[in-house]
Amino acid sequence: MRKMVLVLCIVMAVSIFTGCSRSSQSVAAKQKNKEALNTIRIWHDGDKALIQLMENYLNEALIDDGITVKFEQKSGLTDQIKLYGNDEVNGPDMYMYAHDSLGMFVEMGALAPLTDVIDKNVYADMLPMTLKAGNYKNDQYLMPVYFETLLFIYNKDLWEGEVPSATEDLYSYMKSHTDAAAGTYALVNQHSTAYNVAPIINGFGGFILNEQAEPGLNNRKTKEAIEYNKKFAQLEADGDYNTVNALFKDGKAAAIIGGPWLISGVKEAKINYGIKSLCDFKLPNGNTLIPYSGVQGIGVMKHAARSKKDAVEKVLNEIANPQLGIDLAQNSGCAPSNQKSYNTESVANDEMIAAMRRTADIAQPMPNIPQMSVMWGPAESLLAAVNKSGKELDAAADDYQKEAETAIADMQ
Amino acid sequence: MNKKNKILPWQYSISSILLIGLIVVFPIIYTIYISFTNMNLYHWTNYDFIGFGNYIRALTKLDSGFMSALLTTIVWTVINMVIQILAAYIIALGLNAKGLKLARLYKTLLMFPWAMPAYISILLWRVGIYNPQYGLLNKIRTALGLSSMNFLSENIPAFLSCMVLNLWMALPFLIMMMDGALQSVDISYYESARLDGGGWWTQNLYITIPLIRPVLAPSIIMTTFTTFKQFDIIYLLTMQKGSLTGSTIQTVITYAHQNAFVSNNYGLSSAVSIVIFGFIIFFSIFVNRGIREESE
Repeated sequence: MRKMVLVLCIVMAVSIFTGCSRSSQSVAAKQKNKEALNTIRIWHDGDKALIQLMENYLNEALIDDGITVKFEQKSGLTDQIKLYGNDEVNGPDMYMYAHDSLGMFVEMGALAPLTDVIDKNVYADMLPMTLKAGNYKNDQYLMPVYFETLLFIYNKDLWEGEVPSATEDLYSYMKSHTDAAAGTYALVNQHSTAYNVAPIINGFGGFILNEQAEPGLNNRKTKEAIEYNKKFAQLEADGDYNTVNALFKDGKAAAIIGGPWLISGVKEAKINYGIKSLCDFKLPNGNTLIPYSGVQGIGVMKHAARSKKDAVEKVLNEIANPQLGIDLAQNSGCAPSNQKSYNTESVANDEMIAAMRRTADIAQPMPNIPQMSVMWGPAESLLAAVNKSGKELDAAADDYQKEAETAIADMQ
Repeated sequence: MNKKNKILPWQYSISSILLIGLIVVFPIIYTIYISFTNMNLYHWTNYDFIGFGNYIRALTKLDSGFMSALLTTIVWTVINMVIQILAAYIIALGLNAKGLKLARLYKTLLMFPWAMPAYISILLWRVGIYNPQYGLLNKIRTALGLSSMNFLSENIPAFLSCMVLNLWMALPFLIMMMDGALQSVDISYYESARLDGGGWWTQNLYITIPLIRPVLAPSIIMTTFTTFKQFDIIYLLTMQKGSLTGSTIQTVITYAHQNAFVSNNYGLSSAVSIVIFGFIIFFSIFVNRGIREESE
């Protein structure tokens, strides 16, 4: 009998403890689940200081909602999204990246349109160009954060007189102020990089890839633009990214065509620099240079739009807040996508941001269709063949047009 | 051999076999599987079995430009290997010369190019040696009153530039192997040869080379394959995205990368990979058979 009582006591004790532990486990599990639903992981491949600023801003703004935003840096972000874009457990909830990969991610089925989560009014204040960049097949997939375009950056101590407003005058200046044998240049540019030649190609009415996904490397106007670029290229040193940057920072080049990402290095080199928008240069045909723009935007993964809709909605609302754009402009020199951010004097008066804002009205967002990913190679091979190897333009354009068509066909 | 003795070796090696299977064999089998599907950007998760469709396309692709890439690869491999073996042999002999002072220091210094990460070495050479504005070679040319030259913009100078860099990076390995092999040769053979009146050439031809050949064969085979499938040097020196130089040298691997892997068409890319894999296996059997026949 005593044994029986003892066994019963043990059984009761075990069941009480088990019950308690189950109940506490279930509370912990619920808490964990709630935390997971309120934690938004955003993958990026951007500048650490800029991202830290965004993370701090978002977490402060969302503290009352109990939402935590974690930015996680991933090198080779495109490949990472290919691998984990549809993976709810290991992948991100959102991602922040340049807009030109958008079409690829949408076709892979990784992204949800923003309208699945928020109302269109949330992004109504964004610059039209930045919205266009994040739009694919008439759906808005990216919430634009900031954008970049190429600029004409010059050394005020080396440049003589006013910076011309016509490309022909610029060419004359280059001819008279370049001494390649002595290693000094009036202007340097990555003359065989498609992104850097795009302002001339677009200005001539040519194209690298149109909206119908047709390559335009042997298009008559594209060829005219490449021919026109060639005469500048002959006075612009090697055209390699490191070379042109070093020449400008060493004071061996009076001007450079480059993006805002060069500015920190230029400041470190203590160069007394000035900036001019590329849309302030007129081509012989009367058009201005029309650069490509790259928009950094945030997209939402399909699974997050489904399972974390409330948290994602609040994060997107905060990203659309003009104050984030102001903070990014003041601290990192970014050109905000939100038009209202420019109402702040310090943003509107920043020379570089003002130049990019002006360019935004005419700049073309880089194509975001998936075919663009295979176009950079043939386009740059064509430019290098013409500018560096002295190949005949028509033949090279036909060859690389064929290569581009094959590359596009190979995608299917 | 009793039953226990038959099982014992398997027990010892099963974990290694499983590991090798997982790391080496599984990816190959999976690539073969993908090569029979239409896995691409537009069928990322919902891909289907499409039979030999990708192989037909891959073989059509091989027609356009593949043969010239293959020829370039063979020329590249042969020239590099001949120079590497000769240069490494001569340098190793020098390092083993009697009375050479600071031999250990030289050997340590010679290891630097091999020990440096390839990516850094290649970019250093690209900017520090070949760059038209900042490169050492052009600084020398300018000092001699010659005009600046772009070493990487035309195919032949670019091929030679890549080759010089490949030799710089790969020679230390062969020198080290030859040095080790030379030290394993019994010195009494040379003493006997000298007593019989054998000179330097005779000693090398009839003692050194025959004795070190079995030791060196695996390293030479390894280096030959590394050279055959070289990608980094040619890609980073001439084809890096955003820094194209204008030359159009293609080896089998750069050709495959350019024609298959940038397209996000994994089915087609896998088929191209398997075809190239077949070529390399064929090449490997051919080389191994040649070496075996020679040693017999």
